[in-house]
Amino acid sequence: MDYILHVLVMVALFAILATSFNLLIGYSGLFALSHAAFFGIGAYATAIVALKLGLPFPIPLLMGLAVTAVAGVVVALPALRISGDYLVIVSLALQVIVIAVMLNWTGLTGGTDGIRGIPRIQILGASLDTAAKFLPLAVIVAALCYWGSWRVGASPFGRALKAMRENEAAAQAAGKNIVAMKLAVFAIAAALASVAGSLYAQYVTFISADSFTLELTIYVLAMVILGGTGNLAGSLVGAALLVVLPELLKFVDLPPDIADKLRQLFYGVLLIVMLRLRPQGLLPESASAHHYLAPAVRPRVDRPIAAAALEGRGLEKRFGGIVAVSKLDLALAPGRITGLIGPNGAGKTTAFNLLTGFIEPDAGEVAYRGRLLKGLKPHRIVRLGIARSFQDLKLFTRLTVLENVLVALPRQRGDHLAYVYFTPWAVASEERANLGRAMAILEFVGLQQRAAEPAADLSYAEEKLLAVARLLATDAEVLLFDEPLSGLAPNTLREMQPIFRRLADSGRTLAIIEHNLDVIRELCDTAVFLDEGRKLAQDTPERLMQDPVLAERYFK
Amino acid sequence: MDLVLQLLVNGLVNGSHYALLGLSFGLIFGTTRITHFAYGSLYALSAYACWWVTAKLGLPLVAGFAAGIAAGAAAGLLSYGLLYRPFERAGSPPLVILIASLGLFIVVENAIGIVFGTDTKVVPSPPASLFLVGPAAFTSVQLAQLGALVVIVLGLWLFLSQTRFGRAVRAQTDNPEMATIIGIDTVRLSALVFALGSAIAAVPACLILVKDGGTAYMGFLAVFMGFVAVVVGGIGSLRGAVAGGYALGLVESLGLWKIPSEWQSTIAFVVLFMVLLFRPQGLFAGRQ
Amino acid sequence: MKKLLLGIVALALAGGVVAQSAAGDPKVYKIGAILAMSGQASWYGTVMSQGIKQAVEEINAKGGVNAIPLEAVIDDHKSGNAQEGVSAMNRLLSIHGVKIVLTSFSAPTLAIAPLADQNQVLLLNGGGVSNNLVGASKYIFHNRSLAADLGRAAALHAQSMGAKRMAVLHWKNDAGDNIVRAVQPMWEKGGGSIVAVEAVPQGATNMDTQIAKVRSANPDIVALWMFAPEVGIAVKRLRELGMKQPLIGVEYTANDAKIAGEHGEGYLFINDYFQPSAEFPWSQQFAQGYERRYNAKPEFYAANYYEAVYVVAELLRRARAQGGDYLNGEVLKKALYSNPKFDSVYGGQMVFQPNGVAFKRVGLFKVEGGQNKFQKYIEVR
Repeated sequence: MDYILHVLVMVALFAILATSFNLLIGYSGLFALSHAAFFGIGAYATAIVALKLGLPFPIPLLMGLAVTAVAGVVVALPALRISGDYLVIVSLALQVIVIAVMLNWTGLTGGTDGIRGIPRIQILGASLDTAAKFLPLAVIVAALCYWGSWRVGASPFGRALKAMRENEAAAQAAGKNIVAMKLAVFAIAAALASVAGSLYAQYVTFISADSFTLELTIYVLAMVILGGTGNLAGSLVGAALLVVLPELLKFVDLPPDIADKLRQLFYGVLLIVMLRLRPQGLLPESASAHHYLAPAVRPRVDRPIAAAALEGRGLEKRFGGIVAVSKLDLALAPGRITGLIGPNGAGKTTAFNLLTGFIEPDAGEVAYRGRLLKGLKPHRIVRLGIARSFQDLKLFTRLTVLENVLVALPRQRGDHLAYVYFTPWAVASEERANLGRAMAILEFVGLQQRAAEPAADLSYAEEKLLAVARLLATDAEVLLFDEPLSGLAPNTLREMQPIFRRLADSGRTLAIIEHNLDVIRELCDTAVFLDEGRKLAQDTPERLMQDPVLAERYFK
Repeated sequence: MDLVLQLLVNGLVNGSHYALLGLSFGLIFGTTRITHFAYGSLYALSAYACWWVTAKLGLPLVAGFAAGIAAGAAAGLLSYGLLYRPFERAGSPPLVILIASLGLFIVVENAIGIVFGTDTKVVPSPPASLFLVGPAAFTSVQLAQLGALVVIVLGLWLFLSQTRFGRAVRAQTDNPEMATIIGIDTVRLSALVFALGSAIAAVPACLILVKDGGTAYMGFLAVFMGFVAVVVGGIGSLRGAVAGGYALGLVESLGLWKIPSEWQSTIAFVVLFMVLLFRPQGLFAGRQ
Repeated sequence: MKKLLLGIVALALAGGVVAQSAAGDPKVYKIGAILAMSGQASWYGTVMSQGIKQAVEEINAKGGVNAIPLEAVIDDHKSGNAQEGVSAMNRLLSIHGVKIVLTSFSAPTLAIAPLADQNQVLLLNGGGVSNNLVGASKYIFHNRSLAADLGRAAALHAQSMGAKRMAVLHWKNDAGDNIVRAVQPMWEKGGGSIVAVEAVPQGATNMDTQIAKVRSANPDIVALWMFAPEVGIAVKRLRELGMKQPLIGVEYTANDAKIAGEHGEGYLFINDYFQPSAEFPWSQQFAQGYERRYNAKPEFYAANYYEAVYVVAELLRRARAQGGDYLNGEVLKKALYSNPKFDSVYGGQMVFQPNGVAFKRVGLFKVEGGQNKFQKYIEVR
């Protein structure tokens, strides 16, 4: 009967909204509450184009899509600087502004009257004027949108989104251009929401601003959370549940004056109960890597390469009144392990940050292979061949061990959406090859048994190994390790130290920040002593540690 | 000029109201990290408690306020113990707790409508005196809103700086892991904070009840504004919550000086958005 | 033997069904209603549904219509949400098979209009006031004066009071905007000027900023183009903030009176002329019945929907007399226009115009001693 078909149409529309919203908040961690605004822009654009220009389907839909994608990018721009809770305000601002424009720009949008008499969609001469006729189109479009979202989510790009969600700095250190990624995912999510809006406008044939308020975004948010963020099938389930549930509740007979309030109350209770039963959401986060594929080719991780020197000359950096680094000259030679030692706050990590583009020096320059690295973003520098790890690891905790490594592999076609959509076979075959490379790296550090586990489940020592593995995955020639062995037990140290030696022997340029003097003595060919941002000495570890002045400051 | 002065006065009064919302919401949000969306309906519940005691039982307004505060504290405590704590124990991600809070919001909002009906509730209030600062007018309720903020800020400041509980609250706001390590019972503290925050929220709720009347749905706007005030002011900073509230109130009011009132919320959000653009961590750098 | 029995029973049932459809009479007349039963504006839904229920009870107590009982199926558009309205309409059509729907609020009504046209469902609107609603469907009728008409009547009276400078506080939605657009030209033609136009979102409680701007514009009269409960808040705040100018508006329900309290004294407003009195026995009987059931004085919103049910009953009587399949918007519409005069619970009769709007007299009321005192009728043309 038409009622059920109508409910199914609404499920289809909300499925599109929920899956696209999931891409934004579930996969990318971009908590933008402007989804109803995107839905509305698509609806209004379609209504205006279809009504005033009389253009046939799918032109109004496509035009709405284009306009809304631009709106998505507009929201994304401030998102590049702000994140988390603060992004919420920015997106709310857009939501409020869009509604105000809908209500006040009467010439374009009909103002508070809304737009009525929107022409129905005509397909092959038939007008889709009932739920029964509209449903097939709604389902097909929803399926296409789902496929579109799924391609994004299941691809290396999707994996990179999740990595960005877990830790932006680490994602940059893995070579990901998070600016481009944020812009892309906003554009896509907005565009998909507008598709739903476009269908809605030509289904109901009347739209007004109060259909596109924050309440709608919250409704869609509930669907995404309930279904499980990071799982698109979950969003389908969430959409279906939260559209059908209120309808089912209507069949419960209650005294009419409080019936609907009581039903809403039950709905609220059911929401709480469902979440209580499955606190992580109905469906778990989906992994993007197929762990069961057995890769055949395992290239050697420590194959010989011709790495080059990385030099920092006259580097200066102040934070407010504090001098972090001053007149720092650092030369890292290939085939060597250079140690950086010194008390806390000496500027060791700052030096790494300066060398890898995470912060800009106030003075001085960084050169690699003779070329100056000025103003380059971290992900660019990683791609050039200089990579670093973090003192606090910054692992992608909700991704598996294998995914942590995979995401850092360089030159992935799958990072570019154009390839993901247009040459999926090339992306898939490259992914298979990358799986082999990633497993080889895990074997090199001894983590291959844990490949399918979420990184959050690792022991401390295993986490340190994973951080090293992720760094190796970048295939960089210069490797900067920030306290890679701190806090490890002596036997673990003994197992891990050869890794660094092998890497240096293969020609790579290594630098290690460490407090453990035994490690420095055993691993490093040369050591640099930093204190209060200045290089006090550079020599072999033995000679440094015999220096009485330095011993006074540090080697007690 | 007259208009600007009046808008300024309005902005300060509304700012006080939003600051109280920001303080109470921010106290809970900053300390427990729970996005307590249901704050809105508990806010409404406090107002209804005040109404019940004043209009139905005929007790004086002071008793109504006391009832509202007590009801708010109790509701806050119950919501933490019965709803949030189980989710915390299950290790739910914050977004799941947010939606559970949404569920509670819907439950309480509709329960109020069912039990008390859908008409606007008003309390018999003493005749409102009109005060004039030059050409700018405001009523005694508005003065009370300003006064309430001052009193509560003072009280809260004393509590946070002088008492053991207060110091524990600040510790937990800054660093919950560290707080556990140094032996603070974070669960008990969170419960206390919920009670305290909800009790504070009852004050603006009852004042609004006196000023504009109360409905079951008065809470949505309250939690929305409280949240905005906290984010703009800087999460985890109570100074920030107050500053954010005033920023919101002043911009909303003064922003309309030359601009038609249709654009009231737009102006407010555009300005706040600009603030965040230049200070992405909020006015008073709160917790990141 | 069992099979034979079953067969006989089946035949009898089938026969019963066949017999029923041949007569064209349903077991019960289902009247659908889509109201604000939850959400911010649920007060409207409460009073409207109470009017409907009272009418249904009264009619059924007298044996129903055509000896068939009425049944009201009340659904929810969640305070004016268009999608919810469409879902509700679909439910009423598919599950309950209604052919008559009492509707309210602009957005849901406009959203269900196409469905009404497609399924030939009669729509009766007793609450929405926007101009857009006129002719929104082939089968829509209104027993509520349009906002624009109410506003112009108020402006006419304001002119007669000698006011020249009008400041306006209005709802930011189609109803409010309609009035602003309708009043401005006629006010200016009459030599007046509109010194301030301030919009208040429906559901807002804090209008101090807008009131500040109204105040600073120094008007002779302040017009309140808004409806419950905002108008009560506006009256209260305007007076509390010391404005002494006359206030005139288009609504003042009991809810508003409660909010404004004594500040409402002297407030002038135009309304569908509903004033229960001995002069109009039906209005008094309705009011007494309402008070008995719901412990409150009836709002004119309740009266409109109460009256709509009686209109429906009358239409059903007329249409059935024609015979055939009469539960159909087309047939009911023809039945309505066969004699567009209907008894109104307000007193006297109302006449449905060709555009579907029932002409009701609007009256000027003044709040005196806490009561709405009728002053006079106002002609709006």
